[in-house]
Amino acid sequence: MKKILNEPDHFVDEMVEGILLAHPNQLKTPGEDLRIMVRADAPVSGKVGIVTGGGSGHLPLFKGYVGKGLCDGVAIGNVFSSPSSQQCFEATVAVNGGAGVLYLYGNYGGDVFNFDLAADLAELEDIPTRTVLGRDDVASQPKERKTDRRGVAGIFFAYKAAGAAAERGDKLEQVAAVAEDVVEHTATMGIGLSPTILPTTGAASFELLDGEMEIGIGIHGEPGIHRGELDTEDAIADRIVTALVGDLELTSGDRVAALVNGLGATPLEELYILYRRVHQVLSGLGVEIVRSYVGEYATSLEMAGASISLLVLNDERLALLNAPASSPFFQEV
Amino acid sequence: MNAEELKERIRGSLTELVRYADELRDLDQALGDGDLGITVTLGAEAVIEAVSALPDSATPADIARECAKAFANANPSTMAALVAGGLLAGSKTWTELTEITVCDAAGFVRTAGENIAKRGKTVLGDKTILDSIMPAADALDEASDGASGLVAAIAGAERGVVDTTPLQSRRGRASWLQERSIGLQDPGATAFLRFLESWRVTSDERHASS
Repeated sequence: MKKILNEPDHFVDEMVEGILLAHPNQLKTPGEDLRIMVRADAPVSGKVGIVTGGGSGHLPLFKGYVGKGLCDGVAIGNVFSSPSSQQCFEATVAVNGGAGVLYLYGNYGGDVFNFDLAADLAELEDIPTRTVLGRDDVASQPKERKTDRRGVAGIFFAYKAAGAAAERGDKLEQVAAVAEDVVEHTATMGIGLSPTILPTTGAASFELLDGEMEIGIGIHGEPGIHRGELDTEDAIADRIVTALVGDLELTSGDRVAALVNGLGATPLEELYILYRRVHQVLSGLGVEIVRSYVGEYATSLEMAGASISLLVLNDERLALLNAPASSPFFQEV
Repeated sequence: MNAEELKERIRGSLTELVRYADELRDLDQALGDGDLGITVTLGAEAVIEAVSALPDSATPADIARECAKAFANANPSTMAALVAGGLLAGSKTWTELTEITVCDAAGFVRTAGENIAKRGKTVLGDKTILDSIMPAADALDEASDGASGLVAAIAGAERGVVDTTPLQSRRGRASWLQERSIGLQDPGATAFLRFLESWRVTSDERHASS
């Protein structure tokens, strides 16, 4: 293992300290606990608050989407582990502007337990909450079991849309409905080329032979649906786009937003080569990419690989994507 | 049982329950990650402290809510979150009550169990804590008074532990062991059984001293 590290156990706290020191005008921690970060202007009076959270190791997910037009707060767990229910609850209190709080995070067991308990605790304080789970990874479950799917990079679209809806003054039910609608129309699939090294143990999250790829990999190295010899970039893109088009039932004339996401160690150059092919394939099917995003949106530490996410657009979803947003990690002007 | 008695029983039984921490740790090491002993020890200490800090005006529902919060925060884990969620759900069945009857206890335990089942996506026979909670709730339901209800609840919970030992674990980390989990006693179900037994010890002590 070769990492830029101090004490491995301080990895998460020191990262949060660095983010807070680098962006003091945009982010703050509401109390003593570094594992809760909120917008510098939180709570915004009269606005629905959005709290996300999950394990660390995925920057810019989840902390990077705290900002204007996005989420209001985040509960921060250790690498690949859930934050505590108390941290989720404290984030809730810190962002509650009197209009209730939406929990928007990926569908993982530990996170669900802790956010559900936080919702119970919030209820005792008369803070209404709703929950929407990111569950866009089509490789994690077949379509008949889509509510059990894992949440991966495609949750970015839900953050963007729900954040815009909250910012324009939508009520809690509406913001939750916007998030649910976007999740429902998002599909993602990833490919892994090399594993993640956990800072605390120094161990690789999975093993992959040189020259092999894992299609459908999760952002914690969960196994996918196919392991085999590394294909050409175009063949990889074709395979993933075909699966996404099938899952979303895209047909000629549809409009989509496309996100080509790097998992941590794959250069932007390779991501743009992927994007090129995604664009070609969708154009060939008569599907128009109206918004494109290429870069690192949800990583898995230093995993090499990428994921492709598509969101089916209508006028409402497009308007919400186009609305202004600003965090240290994401800007829409 | 009024609020004052309830607090005393909680403190007494959790002090007793900690004595089983090593047994629970060992059972959990065989089937899970071994943190159940710590969850119970730290959770019990936190609950005792929280209950002691409550004002005299606290109702039974208030007490149950404080127990939930304290237990959840003491050592955050899946078990702690499930138990705390169960306690909060149970506390809602006690709204407005100042005296707890065996019937109220049955309602509490059943509602807590149902919440755990829903959150944990688990059913009877999956070899979890639910397998001792639900038979205990059934026994309390049928009981005419607290003392006999407790004895029957302990018998029900024990049967749940014994009957699920030959089964394969189907939820949580224990399920990763697949058929290797067969024959191992479930730590979660055992923890609830030991809690009931500890509760009985406090009642015996009360009778002995009175």
